[in-house]
Amino acid sequence: MHTFNSIIALINREFKITYRNFSDILSIFLFFLLGIMIFVFSVGGNTKIFNEIGIGIIWTLLLLSNNLSLRKFYQDDFNDNSIILFHISGLSYEIISLIKMIVNWIFIQLPFFIIIPLGVLLLNIDISNFQIIFLSFLIGSTIITCIASISGSMNLLNNKNFAIGSLIIMILSIPVIIFSVSLINLADEFIKAQISILLGIMFFFLAITPWICAACIKLALQSK
Amino acid sequence: MLLANNIYFKRNNRKIINNVSLSLSDHKIIHLTGNNGAGKTTLLKIITNVLELQKGEIYWNGKNIKKNPFDFYKNVTFIMDHNTSNKSLTINENIFFWRKLFSSKRNNKEIDSILELLSLNHLQNTLISYLSYGEKRKLELSRLIIEQKKLWVLDEPYNGLDQSSINLVNHTLLNHMKLGGMIIFTSHFSPEIPNIENLYLDNHAHL
Amino acid sequence: MKFLVNPNRFNNFSNIILKPLIYLSFTSLILGLIFSLYLSPNDYQQGSTVRIMYIHVPAAWLALLTFFIMTIYSIIGLSFKISFSYIVISAVAPIGATFTLICLITGSLWGKPMWGTWWVWDARLTSVAILFFLYLIIIFLKNSFTNVSIGEKVTAMFVIVGSINLPIIKFSVDWWNTLHQPASISKLSSPSIDPSMLRPLIIMTIAFTLIGLLVAIMRIKAEILLRKLG
Repeated sequence: MHTFNSIIALINREFKITYRNFSDILSIFLFFLLGIMIFVFSVGGNTKIFNEIGIGIIWTLLLLSNNLSLRKFYQDDFNDNSIILFHISGLSYEIISLIKMIVNWIFIQLPFFIIIPLGVLLLNIDISNFQIIFLSFLIGSTIITCIASISGSMNLLNNKNFAIGSLIIMILSIPVIIFSVSLINLADEFIKAQISILLGIMFFFLAITPWICAACIKLALQSK
Repeated sequence: MLLANNIYFKRNNRKIINNVSLSLSDHKIIHLTGNNGAGKTTLLKIITNVLELQKGEIYWNGKNIKKNPFDFYKNVTFIMDHNTSNKSLTINENIFFWRKLFSSKRNNKEIDSILELLSLNHLQNTLISYLSYGEKRKLELSRLIIEQKKLWVLDEPYNGLDQSSINLVNHTLLNHMKLGGMIIFTSHFSPEIPNIENLYLDNHAHL
Repeated sequence: MKFLVNPNRFNNFSNIILKPLIYLSFTSLILGLIFSLYLSPNDYQQGSTVRIMYIHVPAAWLALLTFFIMTIYSIIGLSFKISFSYIVISAVAPIGATFTLICLITGSLWGKPMWGTWWVWDARLTSVAILFFLYLIIIFLKNSFTNVSIGEKVTAMFVIVGSINLPIIKFSVDWWNTLHQPASISKLSSPSIDPSMLRPLIIMTIAFTLIGLLVAIMRIKAEILLRKLG
């Protein structure tokens, strides 16, 4: 009962803090849209090319935009010792990281359900089947949240090499991009199979992310 | 009853705590002193299981706190060197968060009177980012009253406080001790509280 | 079995098997090369270029096997707090990276005369390229932290997360029949490869495994010594 109260309290707090600082999140979406515009300008007038690579561009920009949200995961609460407070109130570090991931998913990934169609519109991609895009994004966004959480917690550990977190995000999300992007152009008989591959990757990450993030947080506290 | 035995802690190949033991029972206050960098904050973090020690054990009421940390945490309030109030929230929001987080039974009236005592009640709806350091510190200390736990672990509680607030803190500590609580705190400042046990942490062990 | 997790037992065990291992590994390498280059037939389609397969395929298998071993040691090291595992991981990572590189380069050299292209972005090649980058990151990750013991643990975590790549590589050949050949050796069905080609393949695999083991043992012993001194 106490644990349940603590979890609700933490979720409430995260919600309040996130929407008080909504400009942080807005800048992530702006980054995405500006990125799309940069792509439009960089290919010159050849907009037909977006029919082929448009989805790939959208996924790439999704990834890069998530790079910006790394700092919001644990760094602030780690710096002012709030994360120790959450732990002493009875929540294990695994639960804390799960809550952070849920809040991140709701505030950063969910709005992309609206922004991605916007991107598709801007790039003038010929898509008949939005369902598949949304499905692949549903699964892929969860995986991206997990990866961002892992690199956010690894970033806590070092002052030396700051780009590590971003590198980790990029390398680990390559399989996700491969499967999500190719889903669009796949014939119907393969779609189910590929979706189950994506689901497999998602469950793998969901299983190990809280454990890894908790381990990194404990390590970071040890050497603060 | 808190018992710490032969604690050994090293970090980055530097021995910070070497063979330190202490015990805290009801109605007792320990004042931990030492030079800067002697390891007082580290020792407090070890006692509250925030840091993992390499050698030694810590017992709460006979049970090793490592085996069941959450049972131990239910009895501890740890006021740390940093202030945990979030700068995007108001005083009230932070306090209600702490109340729900620790499942505290303080009702709104009691909270209002606590804030009044700390002279913070006119700032109840102000964002923390607008407060001064001393006001943030006082807010942090209010956690002691909200959480209502037995063992109080305080790291430099008097930092940034004005004289009346210092008197208030001393009064609160004395009260808690009289009611059967236990307190261990660090401070360079020696408060006027009777019956304190003073422990000096030199660069390796106890005196 | 304690020699797998205990440095002293490991040293004793490796001292015993080192000499025989050196002889065995070089013998099997020479034997394998003789079989691959002389005693095996030409492929009726590819001619003698098929012989690159005898290096390419064992290298690929070893690259995957090495990562698999690193994953097991990472799990053991993090769960049971055995510091010997981190020694094994950092010793074995460059070996895996080398095998992956051999696999990529020989694959490229094989691809040009066969299919007319040095490289193509199909699923299997891409996943192996990712594996190579994973290895590189693992090699450099440990020392990019201010505290090396933290770096080791983070590397172990990274290995575990990166291990998702293994089933992807393994099954990518089944999932896509693009440029790459479908798997020709499987335990469940009878091999679709002629025994005269299977023989050199197996011998080369054994040779690579033994050589990899040899280098790994020497690196681990060196690391144990280094830690004793430092």
